Amino acid sequence: MTTIGGKALIMGDNVNTDVLHPSRFFSLDDRTVRSGFLQAAAGYEQVGGSDLAGRVIVAGENFGCGSSRETGARVFLLAGVRAVVARSLARIFSRNVRNLGLPAVECPSLPALAPDVEVELDLVRGRLSVPSESLDLPLTPLDPFWAAVLHAGGLLPFLGLGESASAVTRGASLPMYQGMP
Amino acid sequence: MTAQTLTEKLLRRNVAAPIVPGSEFYRIPVDLVLGHDATIALLIERFKRAGRRIWDPARCFFAADHFTPPSTPERADILNRYLAFMTQESVSQDLAFRGISHQLLVEDRRCQPGMVICGADSHTVMAGALGSFACGMGSTDILALLLTGEVLLAVPESIRIDFEGTLPDWLFGKDLALEIIRQLGEGGAVDRSLEYRDLTTTGLPMDSRLSVANMAVEAGATNGVFVPDDALRSYLAARDGSAGPLPGFEGAWLEPDPGAAYVQHIRIDLDKLRPLVALPGDLSRIVPAEDAEPRAVQQVFIGSCAGGRVEDLAAAARVLRGRRVAPGVRLVVTPASQAVYRACLRNGIFEVLHDAGAMITNSSCGACGGIDKGLIGAGEVCVSTSNRNFRGRMGSPDGLIYLASPATAAAAAVTGRICDPRTVLDDRCLTSFHQDPWPAVRMIGDAA
Repeated sequence: MTTIGGKALIMGDNVNTDVLHPSRFFSLDDRTVRSGFLQAAAGYEQVGGSDLAGRVIVAGENFGCGSSRETGARVFLLAGVRAVVARSLARIFSRNVRNLGLPAVECPSLPALAPDVEVELDLVRGRLSVPSESLDLPLTPLDPFWAAVLHAGGLLPFLGLGESASAVTRGASLPMYQGMP
Repeated sequence: MTAQTLTEKLLRRNVAAPIVPGSEFYRIPVDLVLGHDATIALLIERFKRAGRRIWDPARCFFAADHFTPPSTPERADILNRYLAFMTQESVSQDLAFRGISHQLLVEDRRCQPGMVICGADSHTVMAGALGSFACGMGSTDILALLLTGEVLLAVPESIRIDFEGTLPDWLFGKDLALEIIRQLGEGGAVDRSLEYRDLTTTGLPMDSRLSVANMAVEAGATNGVFVPDDALRSYLAARDGSAGPLPGFEGAWLEPDPGAAYVQHIRIDLDKLRPLVALPGDLSRIVPAEDAEPRAVQQVFIGSCAGGRVEDLAAAARVLRGRRVAPGVRLVVTPASQAVYRACLRNGIFEVLHDAGAMITNSSCGACGGIDKGLIGAGEVCVSTSNRNFRGRMGSPDGLIYLASPATAAAAAVTGRICDPRTVLDDRCLTSFHQDPWPAVRMIGDAA
């Protein structure tokens, strides 16, 4: 699967992992981890607890800055989020999300969007489209390493060290994506 | 060969071909991997399913610092799973319960200049103060590292940061770290290295350098590294004593090449810097303490890997000597390691803090990570020497966290309000905060 469509969940700039997933929800129990999603993000507490299956997170600059706690990335999988798009991504967070097989990509020209707007992410063409706004925006090309990791379904399957935690991009021909404008 | 930055030199020593054609990512062998009870626990089940052993248990620097002692039955269970994993994989438990992993690392001879160090915690970057490449990662990256001995990294471009001028008594590494973030912004160094040079007339104390490197990640940096100099040499000589450098790292004193390319060059003149505070919520609003609204505070926290060393606790003691914490304010003091704890016991710092009304806890991550021993409630204001003031970080999302130096934090404890520490310094205080350039290592050495 190389095209990921869904309802956007719009977030702002410098959203850190402590607000995305407060440390009191750190746990080895997935239900506890899931219940912590967005519980310190002002105004997002309710949506964090709601059904987010199929949603695409659309955020501003430096999304996911802060802690390396991987529960803060795993919770995106547990919530059913299908992809993360941001104007820019924090380093450790973007690695964590991609390592789990979930696409996290950058779209530097991303404008402010209306809440819950439908977006479509084409990882082969390297475009983010917003049909209702007639927008078709370029994504920053993924390094071929990350394209290969997503193609494999995560870092462990890429290295032959374990199975994929996510089926969102597994098998996608993402290496094609390299070099696309 | 083109001129290289220090980080390029540290990472390119053992690098061959890219992982996949056309990629900027390389397999990089790792000298030391840092772990602790919380984040290693997240990988144990997947590790077992891989059916392999840790590539080199002797290179695992595993502490137990988050749930120590545990505050809930689940955390006791997590801690015990972690300890059992260490036993099974023949990883030493000598470091467990001895303090915060990042501080234990820089106190330990196993951490040497020239190394590549990766850790399952974002503040692993602090070890860059000792001239190594040190970088934090999530549990899946660390799991792959434990199985293979390698990490997959792109070599970052560097931002050069020069400290110039003279360090006044009332300025600390925390003020310098906040000034860097004020200039770069929270995401201003993402996928970049910060390369620090100490060009000050007085020299920056090692404890302050550690606080600076600790917060490289708060600007988004991959790593932060101090260019090795005589001050580092003295620190290591005092730390390692007659044992000397670790075999294999005797000559690993790398320096950037003259003419190396930097994407940005920042000069920080300490003669022009005032004590700073980060206003609550995130690190986007950093202002001089004297310009901040003098809000009433309910808690002051002096601790964490960013602000719980001997220099920090000594600074607090110097402000609090002969004084009492303001009524209604709780002062929580958490030494960063047991060696720091013991040094503070021996040299009278704890006596001063105790007499002033401080609550002194065991060495652990504690209040900084909102784990235990000093959480804040809705509407409360906390001044903290830690590294993150994020919403909800230390408890209620409706509590407010200010970040500041130990002197500024102690001044808030005395006055009950956010204030500039220079307003409370008088003849009761020991005036020279930095009279001994390396108080920590010498006192730790004395205590050992």
